[in-house]
Formats: sequence, structure tokens, C-alpha cells
Amino acid sequence: MKANDPHSRYQTPLHTAGAAVILCAGLLFSAAPALADETCQSPYMAKITGEEEYVYVWTLGMEGVGDGSDKIVTVDVRSGSPTFGKVVDVDSVGGRHEAHHGGLTDDRRHYWVSGLDSNMIFLFDIASDPANPKLVKTINDFEAKSGGVVGPHGAYALPGRMLISGLSNSKKTGQTALVEYTNDGDYIATHWMPTADNPMGAINGEKADGYGYDARVLPRRNVMLSSSFTGWENYMRPLGEVVNDPEAMKKFGGSMVLWDFHARKPRQVFEVPGVPLEVRWAWGVDHNYAFTSTALTSEIWLVYEDENQKWHAKSVGKIGDPAKLPLPVDISLSADDSTLFVDSFMDGMTRVYDVTDPHSPKLIYEKKIGSQVNMVSQSWDGKRLYYTSSLLANWDKGGEDNEQFLKAYTWDGKELTPRFEIDFLAAGLGRPHLMRFGSSALYTY
Amino acid sequence: MRTLCFLGAALLAMATPLAAAAHESSLKIEGPADAYVYELAPPGSYDLPRIGKAADARLLDEDGETVELGDLFKGRLTLLTFMYLRCGDVCPIAATRMADLQLLAAEDPALARQLQLISLSFDPAHDTPARMAEHGRAMRLPDPAAPDWLFLTAESQAAIAPVLKAYNQPVGRKADPDDPSGPLAHLLRAFLVDGEGYIRNIYSADFLDPRLLLNDLKTLQMEAH
Repeated sequence: MKANDPHSRYQTPLHTAGAAVILCAGLLFSAAPALADETCQSPYMAKITGEEEYVYVWTLGMEGVGDGSDKIVTVDVRSGSPTFGKVVDVDSVGGRHEAHHGGLTDDRRHYWVSGLDSNMIFLFDIASDPANPKLVKTINDFEAKSGGVVGPHGAYALPGRMLISGLSNSKKTGQTALVEYTNDGDYIATHWMPTADNPMGAINGEKADGYGYDARVLPRRNVMLSSSFTGWENYMRPLGEVVNDPEAMKKFGGSMVLWDFHARKPRQVFEVPGVPLEVRWAWGVDHNYAFTSTALTSEIWLVYEDENQKWHAKSVGKIGDPAKLPLPVDISLSADDSTLFVDSFMDGMTRVYDVTDPHSPKLIYEKKIGSQVNMVSQSWDGKRLYYTSSLLANWDKGGEDNEQFLKAYTWDGKELTPRFEIDFLAAGLGRPHLMRFGSSALYTY
Repeated sequence: MRTLCFLGAALLAMATPLAAAAHESSLKIEGPADAYVYELAPPGSYDLPRIGKAADARLLDEDGETVELGDLFKGRLTLLTFMYLRCGDVCPIAATRMADLQLLAAEDPALARQLQLISLSFDPAHDTPARMAEHGRAMRLPDPAAPDWLFLTAESQAAIAPVLKAYNQPVGRKADPDDPSGPLAHLLRAFLVDGEGYIRNIYSADFLDPRLLLNDLKTLQMEAH
């Protein structure tokens, strides 16, 4: 069985206890092999076995659309279900918070979603009834507890904890931090990003810029990689104003930080110009690398460890025509590390790269998903993909170009074939953003 | 470096390829470093913030006597793991790592006196005190300098259920009750608990590296001084 076969981690006879540990971190809730689930998730999470049953969409409220509030929209994606491809539950949180990202806890019982503007974090129970999420806790003192972090962004599962990557601070600039909570929603600690003035001992620390966006862990190498975006002063401002303000355009991140994950200390800073956003670690047991894409310079970057255990970052390809500012946003790496999906917001395209050689991605397919596209979520077996349209309330397109949708496709390795789509404006829902998968098969206890 | 040959009986009893692999790697303290070679931050150079209060529980020791988990924590440094004896995948791996830690800690008398390892079964119907005692005899290092290692279980499933909930330890039944790796599915977590009963770290299987555990224990020791 190939080392980079996604199922090898779960089925291969083991030769070392070390390999066994990798296996066991994932094989947790069933004897059946993991065939579905979403790739690009925390390695600490329990995995869905079989196909995903529900997609939970964290959706921005939109004035004049339905109740206008941010909400969790639950979509039934069970093949053969009478409500397949339909919205089966809507849970508004009241008000508009700039709904953006979130994530599932390691036991997959709770879905944390946050507001970049209000700094509120909402904890939904998705285990008691996966078809009907329930809001069980609201964290409304994130800024105070964290010591001045604002813009709670991703929610990433650690063992028994959640790691919240911030985007900004009380002064609304881009200096920010990673904030840890217990699975129950109790504050634990704040880890500020390094800056040139306070590099915290990191190699190349003079290039640290303090911005934050994503943060993800490769446990077997004890490393965490974080990326960088911009502060509240930019992400809450209309995109047209920002791009026409030279001073504002200077206030974007251009670095990534490699951390000693166990100690939560920055180890090394990489210069990655042009706003590196999503971080995607490879899954293969000897694949010590991660991809990101840069929003403003439209490049795919590889962060990798060499044979001497030294880490590097380098650009490995262009995405579309960078001169046209396609604005790459979400990316999704297949579980066998062979295929990278890259969405770009401005041209509404998804591009698929063969990344079998991670140092040399090759474009193998492209398709226009809509007038604008942002997030892409991929099943573990790589056969089903889901796309949503919204980026930020003030950055989404206007008029007829403001399409707001969830579109589902099948992928056969050559092309995307539509399965279903939901018009979130016609349905009175709003601007769909982050997606996470759920399944009742997980909760047998 | 001493070897852990006495582990053979215990691990071979869990006759699976995984257990055999675990045994093989336990012969020397190289731990997960066999596969996870990385530099560790020195003890005391990092913080281990309080994650929360470790829940109390009324449990049974190897003699069938009632013990209060909260009392056991007092004044000690504890590594607590949840397990079950019929487990053929993660539990033997965790047990091997704990045995490695026991061996390493035995070389530091002050730490060994303060440290205790606790393996707590969530399968009380099968894992009776007598069976846990038998397992304990096979696992414990026959060295008076070694830290204590307790093997606990509960009166009943009803008694262990709230403990699992308190420690976020979901346990499910596998579709195939005859699964060779055991009938139950669980998310392996180990908890480092300080002498005041606070959880200070939570480990996945990836981080059950005895060297890393030892550094965390020393970090807590240094904090106390």
C-alpha cells in the first residue's frame, strides 16, 4: 500500500509503534475504514466513517434577506434521502456578527462558529441530533479574556481544546494572537504572534509582522504553521476602498510562522508576500509539507522540511493570471495528497492542480463555479465537493454578481458534475461561508 | 539502558499485530521518537496553563476497595489515561509509552516519588479489579524506585459514564463486536494533573512521547519551587 494512500493510515499492518500512533489518532469511532469525511481538518478530530450526511453552513445575515441574522444552515446530503440537497434546519444566532469561520471539537460534538466583528463565538451541539444543531453556549467576552484579541477566526481542534486564530486587536490593527479554550468554552491562554520588535526567538524573526489567519498542526513533527491576513480596519471596510488606499494596502500580512507546537513558541518566520491564507498540511506519513495560497500575489506556496530537518517556504506556481487579481481564497488538498483545489473569488473559478510532486503543481482542470466563489470542502474519498460564495459582507460583489449559493458536485478525477445547488438569497438565508460535515453514524455512545 | 522485557507477557496477551509492534519498540526507550524525531523545548522554558479542574470520581482499586480520584491527585503529579483491557489498538500503545515513562522516571528519585500513573478502565463489566490487578502486575516495573502505577476500574457502567463525560471521553461500540482490535471505539487522551487537581496538559497518541512527558513533569516540578 502506498505511503500516501489515505487509507493506509487506517489499514496498513504496522511496522513500528510510531506508525501505530499515527493510525490510532484517526481510527477512533468505528472498525470500518474512514471513507468520507472532509479532508483538511484537524488530525485530532474523530473521523466520519461512510459518507457525510449533513453539511453545516455558517451563513452571514444579509439585510432584507429572511431574518437578516447570521445562522447555521443544515443541508441534508444523504444520497436517496427525500430531503437530499435541501435545507432541513436553520438556527439564527440573532444579529450580524460578520460570520466567517469556525470548526469542530476533537470529539466532534460541538461546532464552534465566530463573528469577526462582534467577537462572539457560538457553540452548537451537533451530536445530540445531527440533523438539528442546537446553540448551547455563547462566548461574549473573547476580547476581554484574551487580553485584547479581536476577530476570532478559525476554531481548530486540539486534544480537549480549541485553538482560535484571531485577526486583529482592540486597536483594530493586524497584530493578533492565537487563543486557547477548553472544549467546554473556558478560556485557557493567549499566544501572541511574533513581530519584528518582539520576535520571541524565532529564526528570521525580524521579518515577523504579527498578522494572523489560519493555524494548523503537524503533530508528528511537533510543528504548527500560521498564516497572515489583515486587521479589523481593513476586513470590515469595503474592498473597493481598501484597494484604492495605498496606506491600507500596506496593512496586509506577508509572513508565515512555524511554531514549536508543544511549547507554543515561534520557531521560524517565512517571508510569504501577498497574504498567505489557508494552511493545508499533507496527510501522507512521510509528507512533511503544507500548501498555502497568497491572495494578493496569486501564488501557490509550499512550506516543507528538507532531509536535514530544515524548513523552507517557496512559491511553486501561479494561480490564473496574477495581473488580473483573481484573489485566491480557499484551498482543499485531497486526502491522498495528489490533488489541490484552489478557489479564486474575483473570477469565480475553481482550479485543480496535480500536486503529486508538491514542488511542481500542474493545472489539470478549471471550472467557473459562479460570479464569485470562496470556500471549498472536499469529502475524504475525494468524490464530493461543496462550494460556497461569500467572502466578507463588505467584500462580496454587488448587484447581479452577488450570487450566494451552496453548490455540490461529484469529482471523478477529470471533471466536476453538479449534484445540487441552493440559492441562499432566494431561500432567504444570506451569504453562505464556512462548511463542516456531520453524520449521525459517529455518535453511537 | 535497561530493557522492558517483562512487558512481553502483558502485550502478547493482547495478541494483535499492533500490540506486537508496540512491544517491539518498547525494548528500548526510544519511544515515539523512533518515528517522531524532533527537538523538545527544555523543561521550564514554556508554560502549561491550567486547562480546568480534573473531575473527581468514586472508583475501585485493584483490591476492589473504593478510592476517590480527587484524593489521589492531592500533592502528586498524575498521568491519567482511559483504557480497556480488550483494546487491541491504542491502549497497548499508550501502556507501552507509560511503561517507558515509568522507566525514565525511575532514574529521577525526586520525580518518581511525586509521579503516579493511573490507568482507568471504561469497561468495568469486563475489567474487574482482579483483572486490572493481574494487568498491573504485568505492567509495573519491579523496581522500588519506580513511580506508582495504579490500575483502576469502576463499580458499573453507570458509575463510569459521568467520569467519561467529565473528561470528554466518548466511548462507542464498534459495529462488529468481534473486531480483532476490540469491541469499543474511543479517542485516546492522556491527562497531566497537578497536585492541586488541575489538568495541565492533554495528550493525543502522537504526543505520548516519554521524553516529552518527562519535560512536562519537570516543568511542573520547577513551577512548584
